[in-house]
Amino acid sequence: MPIPDKPSARSREVAPTSSLKNPHSRAQPRQAPEQLSLVATDFKNPSPLSAPVGSLRQLWLCVYLPMLPLEAVINSPQAAAVFEEGQGIRRVLLANAEAGAAGISPGLSVNAALALMPTLRLEERRPDREARVLKDLAGWSEKFTAFTSVEKPSLLLLELAGSLRLFGGLKTLRERIVRGFVSQGFHVRVAIAPTPLAATWLARAGQKVCIRDARHLVGKLSPLPITCLGWPEAVCKALQGMGVTVVGEALRLPRQGFAKRFGASRLLEFDRATGAMPDPRASYRAPERFVADYDLYEEQSDSHLLLNVCHELLKKLERFLLSRQMLVQHVEFIFFHLQEPATHLSLGCVQADRAVQHWFDLLEIKFDRLPLPAPVIAIRLSAGQTQGFTAENDVLPFTKKERQGRNTSITHLAERLCARMGKETVHGIETVAEHRPQYTWRRRDVFDGVPHCASASNYRDLTGYPDELALLTDVHRTNSLVLRRPLWMLQAPELLAIKNDMPCYQGVLQILDGPERLETGWWDADGIARDYFVARNPRGIHLWIFKDRARDSSFWYLHGMFG
Amino acid sequence: MSDALEALLKNPRIWRGQTQAEDLNWQGLASGYPRLDQHLPGGGWPKHALTEILLDHYGTGELQLLMPALASLSQPQEDREAGWIAWIAPPFEPYPPALMQWGVNLSRVLIVRPKKPQESLWAAEQALSSGNCAAVLLWSTRLDDAASRRLQLAAETGQSWAIAFRSLAASSQPSAAALRIRLEAGATGTDIGILKSRGGRPAVVRDYAG
Repeated sequence: MPIPDKPSARSREVAPTSSLKNPHSRAQPRQAPEQLSLVATDFKNPSPLSAPVGSLRQLWLCVYLPMLPLEAVINSPQAAAVFEEGQGIRRVLLANAEAGAAGISPGLSVNAALALMPTLRLEERRPDREARVLKDLAGWSEKFTAFTSVEKPSLLLLELAGSLRLFGGLKTLRERIVRGFVSQGFHVRVAIAPTPLAATWLARAGQKVCIRDARHLVGKLSPLPITCLGWPEAVCKALQGMGVTVVGEALRLPRQGFAKRFGASRLLEFDRATGAMPDPRASYRAPERFVADYDLYEEQSDSHLLLNVCHELLKKLERFLLSRQMLVQHVEFIFFHLQEPATHLSLGCVQADRAVQHWFDLLEIKFDRLPLPAPVIAIRLSAGQTQGFTAENDVLPFTKKERQGRNTSITHLAERLCARMGKETVHGIETVAEHRPQYTWRRRDVFDGVPHCASASNYRDLTGYPDELALLTDVHRTNSLVLRRPLWMLQAPELLAIKNDMPCYQGVLQILDGPERLETGWWDADGIARDYFVARNPRGIHLWIFKDRARDSSFWYLHGMFG
Repeated sequence: MSDALEALLKNPRIWRGQTQAEDLNWQGLASGYPRLDQHLPGGGWPKHALTEILLDHYGTGELQLLMPALASLSQPQEDREAGWIAWIAPPFEPYPPALMQWGVNLSRVLIVRPKKPQESLWAAEQALSSGNCAAVLLWSTRLDDAASRRLQLAAETGQSWAIAFRSLAASSQPSAAALRIRLEAGATGTDIGILKSRGGRPAVVRDYAG
């Protein structure tokens, strides 16, 4: 058995890849309709060569959203309808079940609909919003398949052949997809077929079928009405005038004549639907940068409600990041108002994150004090640059270290503090190799990178701790004035009053030690030449004072306190 | 002990100072000054509670008093990691070279300078209750009874050591702090007066560093 199988297997492999790679295969028939009959095969007896094109390799699930124009603008269980303006008359395009029960049907004029039901909520159709919703849904369905195609205005095509094993079979997968759409509030009709067009037509016709074998395509497509092809009304009328009402009858028409009358492109559609010709589609890729909007439809100023909406948006962000194994370090909320310019609120965190709760905590802190000049009509969440998710080592929860490990996540605290008080209010410190007292240290930005503790061994190498520390403190105990540095430093040296040639600070000072001469920094503009002394005031406070030799050495300055 | 006395002691309205320190699990954190440790219940600073230090002039020795304990907290130990030390609204710049001389791990120092005075209490509470800081030092003029209670609670929930600096005038005001001490310049050095310590007795330690 394996030997006769081989050639056919090879032909299956070669055919779809070559056709997909070659974009000309799509355009060719249009340019040369005369040659069409040479390429295509007879519909009645599809030859074994043409049938496998894309048959076992591809399985398309078409999601048809019949109520999309309505669902894209209104998402409420109350009676609602969308209207469209045509030839100066505004007519109902779609009505939901509630409105339908009241007798409001598509085609009714807006005035008539309002007369029937004064409480009806009417919105104008928004094709731009439909397109956005469709793209969002395509992004969402990326979790089921690597290949999603967006077919405007209201179709999604999901290629499922590659996902069957992961999701445990076609039936489970289909159910999960349908459930996902329904839970997001969309009505869907789905159909599965080996070619995208066949799936599309079946879904439009509302046939909940699943065709896995391309040989059954012609048989299953034949009973479909012509109207589900999505062709212009004039074409459908012409066909109906010929007595052709179902797809099967159209398939039986002579090819040459059909192409002449209705255009080669329509014939090509038939070929593609039945799998006789390849049907390459463009794969949708959700943008790598996350932006999501939420329209409130009415102006809102209730902070609780606004926070809830933000939470929803953050959930979307989390899903987006999870599916890409990404993290963000910065997000921005934009609150739109009708009259006022939009209010921006940006959040940053030390370590990139994607957890909803984490971002929401930060948001809550900041939102509290956000001055909203007017009620909000829409909210947008846009995420900053994404970065790859890198897993970190963690200790197992039952080990002893974990219980003490809380000390490590200082970043969350720093973020909370920064979120409320501003980034510049929180900082770390580090020393600099420099002799000038005011330059021996600098602030360290906590956002610059997490101030990770040098590992214990490193730190000991660096400072000689703890042996040297013991030594140092011993020195302090015995002779507390050996190169001691004050724990408190003034931001700028303070000029001291002078009484009887002695400096005063809450009383006349008594010099205990000194001078320690610091004369350095001549290479830049801020050189110093100072004699530092340790002094004690009558209250017992030990001070670090200096005489400025560079200017006038009769003045004394206070620079620090030993605390 | 007589039965009558036992019964009396079992009355929940009777408060016994000595036992409370044990109940509270006052884990003493060695202050580095043995003469002070003698007077502190648990033999050191209350690790998971509020300590108030009352003084009139900064520089009276309040930092030196804390330095050995803060240094040991900021260094990794066998049974725990290095702890963070948050300084909230310090009146001057804590000078890193001096901190290093005292053995404080600078990479674990977090300085918070709120722009508004009322924010420093909030920041302190956040730092304490987050459980990320081993010690939180707070300089605030707005500390009152209610605030000290909040800080004490936050210190307990976050298992960290809160240190609040107040003026000597506050010694007459009530406070929820587990330990209250006053610092004053004495004849030879700084004297410590223990005003209140849960489960301990008031005491005076003259020239603690000497």
